[in-house]
Amino acid sequence: MYKKAQEEMVGFAVIVVIVGVILLVALGFMLNNSDEEVVESYEIESFLQSSLQFTTDCENEIGFLSLQNLIIACNKENRCLDDKNSCDVLNSTLNNLVKNGWQAGEESAIKGYNFKIIIDEKIELELKKGNETSSYKSGFQGFAKSGSDYEVSLDIYS
Amino acid sequence: MSFMVNKIFPENCKAQMKIQQMVFMIIAITILFVLVGLFFLSISFSNLKKTATNLAEESSKLLVSKLANSPEFSCGNAFGTISQSNCIDFDKIIGLKEEIESYSDFWGVAKIEIRKIYPNGSRLCNEANYPDCEILKILDKDVKTLSYSSNFVSLCRKESDGKIIYNKCELALLMVASGDKT
Repeated sequence: MYKKAQEEMVGFAVIVVIVGVILLVALGFMLNNSDEEVVESYEIESFLQSSLQFTTDCENEIGFLSLQNLIIACNKENRCLDDKNSCDVLNSTLNNLVKNGWQAGEESAIKGYNFKIIIDEKIELELKKGNETSSYKSGFQGFAKSGSDYEVSLDIYS
Repeated sequence: MSFMVNKIFPENCKAQMKIQQMVFMIIAITILFVLVGLFFLSISFSNLKKTATNLAEESSKLLVSKLANSPEFSCGNAFGTISQSNCIDFDKIIGLKEEIESYSDFWGVAKIEIRKIYPNGSRLCNEANYPDCEILKILDKDVKTLSYSSNFVSLCRKESDGKIIYNKCELALLMVASGDKT
């Protein structure tokens, strides 16, 4: 009789262990099911769209150029009214915009970024910072002027 | 007779023990399942709370885009012939800030803030230092809030260099936080 009672106690213990394991697995799944993203694609799209409207320090006969018009001016090798090279102004403005918009670093949730200006399918300018990880979000904005296709893209690595 | 009693009594005892064992097992299993049920219930209730918070944050995100393109905020056609999306008229909202009491419950949020990204800084905007400032608190209710939802916008105003009036657009973040009702 004692042996049978022991067997039943062991059986009960086995049931408790199995239920415990199932609970732990379920809990693990629930805790891992966090669907929060560090960066959303629409944020990158908005960043690019707003950046293209940014008023730069480069002035021509009409007025101060927006970043979009500065990209076009740089492609045409036009100079600013104060004789500054439009491509130099473009480079420094873009650096400041991207650096302040996406603070990338080892300690940050954003590990790195890659900003590109592609004109007629050729990369004309590339700004990179940090590590390129497998988890990333992208956005791009395109426009056309004087027969050329311009594309501005940004990849954010998290 | 005594032979019969001796024979029956151990059998009774054995049966009673069996019944007791079964009762204990049933009670133990019932308690176990009740505990498991309570555990799952507590998890599902905490998920419900999390879902409510996520929904509030999601609606704030949508509101950010809606706000940027609402008549009270948007540039409209003031900064070019084509209406720009995600463009906020700085001149317009500095005026709106003065009248914010009339709008305090209009958008259903607790806080609305605009923060310049580039050029950046930490000066709070008011009528005296406008436009040489970086943070504009449009709505700032003194309540417990959820985390901020934000999106990039172009913050435009009319600027003059003494000769001509031109459009000056800067990069900014429009930030919105809903009140925490949980």
